[in-house]
Amino acid sequence: MSNNIVENLRKEIESFKAATMTEKVGHVIEVFDGIAKVSGLSDIKSSEMVTFPGGATGVALNLEEDAVGIIILGDFSNIKEGDEVKATGRILEVPVSENILGRVVNALGAAIDGKGAIKTQGDKQQTYPIERVAPGVITRLSVSEPVSTGIKVIDAIIPVGRGQRELIIGDRQTGKTAIAIDAILNQKGQDMICVYVSIGQKDSKLRKIEARLEAGGAMNYTVIVSAGASEAAALSYIAPYTGVSIAEYFMDQGKDVLIIYDDLSKHAVAYREISLLLRRPPGREAYPGDVFYLHSRLLERACRRNEQYGGGSITAFPIIETQAGDISAYIPTNVISITDGQIFLEADLFYKGIRPAVNVGSSVSRVGSAAQIKAMKKVAGTLKLDLAQFRELEAFSQFGSDLDESTKSSLERGKRSVEVLKQLQYAPVKVEHQIVTMYALTKGYIDDVPLEKIKEFENGLSDFTENNAKIFYKEVKEKKMWSDAGEAELKKAIEDFKSGFVQ
Amino acid sequence: MAKISPKNAALAIYDATLGKSGAELALTLKNGVKTLSDKRLLSQSEEILGALQGIIDKKTNTIRMKITAAKALGAEEKKKLEHQIKEKYKAEKVESEFFEKSDLLGGIRIEVGDEVIDSTYKSKLNKLENFLIQSN
Repeated sequence: MSNNIVENLRKEIESFKAATMTEKVGHVIEVFDGIAKVSGLSDIKSSEMVTFPGGATGVALNLEEDAVGIIILGDFSNIKEGDEVKATGRILEVPVSENILGRVVNALGAAIDGKGAIKTQGDKQQTYPIERVAPGVITRLSVSEPVSTGIKVIDAIIPVGRGQRELIIGDRQTGKTAIAIDAILNQKGQDMICVYVSIGQKDSKLRKIEARLEAGGAMNYTVIVSAGASEAAALSYIAPYTGVSIAEYFMDQGKDVLIIYDDLSKHAVAYREISLLLRRPPGREAYPGDVFYLHSRLLERACRRNEQYGGGSITAFPIIETQAGDISAYIPTNVISITDGQIFLEADLFYKGIRPAVNVGSSVSRVGSAAQIKAMKKVAGTLKLDLAQFRELEAFSQFGSDLDESTKSSLERGKRSVEVLKQLQYAPVKVEHQIVTMYALTKGYIDDVPLEKIKEFENGLSDFTENNAKIFYKEVKEKKMWSDAGEAELKKAIEDFKSGFVQ
Repeated sequence: MAKISPKNAALAIYDATLGKSGAELALTLKNGVKTLSDKRLLSQSEEILGALQGIIDKKTNTIRMKITAAKALGAEEKKKLEHQIKEKYKAEKVESEFFEKSDLLGGIRIEVGDEVIDSTYKSKLNKLENFLIQSN
């Protein structure tokens, strides 16, 4: 055994070659709050990696006439004035491989889940630079394949397609992360890789998320990139770029990837901190002038590539936390304008018990409808309008009790629509079940079911129809649309179930 | 007005004194120091002198080299090194300083400006340490 170790060590040492070459060095002039000013380093590039004596890594951000402003990635307590800083000649990069799936990594791509180092594939460690120019116009394809989130209100009303950037926005504690986690859980068996980037979140929250994904069997196709609240702002700043580089690695193999940035408000705050420490001029809300570019260059990397350029896609779910529902603040408006739509969560709805607390009126998906499957389009086409009318009627109906029949029936239908769209956390619904429920709702089969029994009805209906409307299910699954025969079968199944349910 | 950097001040002093000598040079330097005092730049005199040295070195094609070795180098070795560095940087003149540092264990470390050629045993051992950590 010990002979083996010695033998291995000898082999390792024999394979080591220490070439002597010219290195560019500089010296630390000052260090404070995770920032170092360094003299020398004359030929350094922007975003180039440097190394400090203790092994800490830094990135050159400010190139000035006689000094370089460097952000230190990691512990800076051992860095002293006069320390020698070496340029590496490489732009900041992260290690990537298939083995990263199922792991929790930090912003530099190193494992932090206690399961040991991530093994390299082959002899050489493959790396991806964290800053890359987004794929060009020619390489892209418009959104046409759906991402099934398993959340009824999203899949029916605000559909998301592969390659889309859909913002999840709302106050604290309105269920933003819950939507993202449900979407990841629902990707099981859907040929999708998921990357969850946690920026400035509590470690306890991340632990909970990891445990939930593990329990749901989702870690097999998921990578978690974490820059916690206790870590340096520089790590929070680079974490989303690390995440998207890992996503690009999988996209380059022609795979579809779903990436979640939780959340970009904290990312902007981390960047503001770094920028102010680097003495860049503050602008609106003290954010630096390039805070729009910070997010636009990140979100532009989400795309769907055409087959000629390798295929694959990156769908992005950035999350933004608003203060007191103010979506007109600086960062929310920026990210709203960059993304292809938003899912707006409201605290009022949340406290009323409407969960997911999606405000259907303010939420929109600009490109997703092209990706929605035909069957879903057919059943959910008028749902958004119906719900908007319901909200209006609901407001009016509070003034008087004397309502005509059609208004009353619209109100009843609206109440049932809201009830049907409610959904428990961590309980994604299969798209075929969603279609059956929406079909029953729009065709009026639920109109005479008491409100408090709707959940029971819905669950029972899904199970019953799955066994008794097999043609319908098969057609929707394979052809994405039903035929007349399938519809007739479904109608019969719903009626049969209903007669049993009412009794 | 933009801030005057030590480099700018050094360049101004160099331009003003170029080609002057004797009393004229003394007067120019005196005025230069007065200007620095007026602009409150005297606290940066060390940086300015350093920058001035850099400008003069560039004009005269001189390079300054620092050599640190574990043991004192012999005259022959020093000469050889100076010659090689002169060739490498295509310089006309080399100003060298030699230091001894026993904890380098062996080999030499050459510093020219912000470039370093490090062939000491100490740095090689450090590299080996990193290599072994990374490969396991």
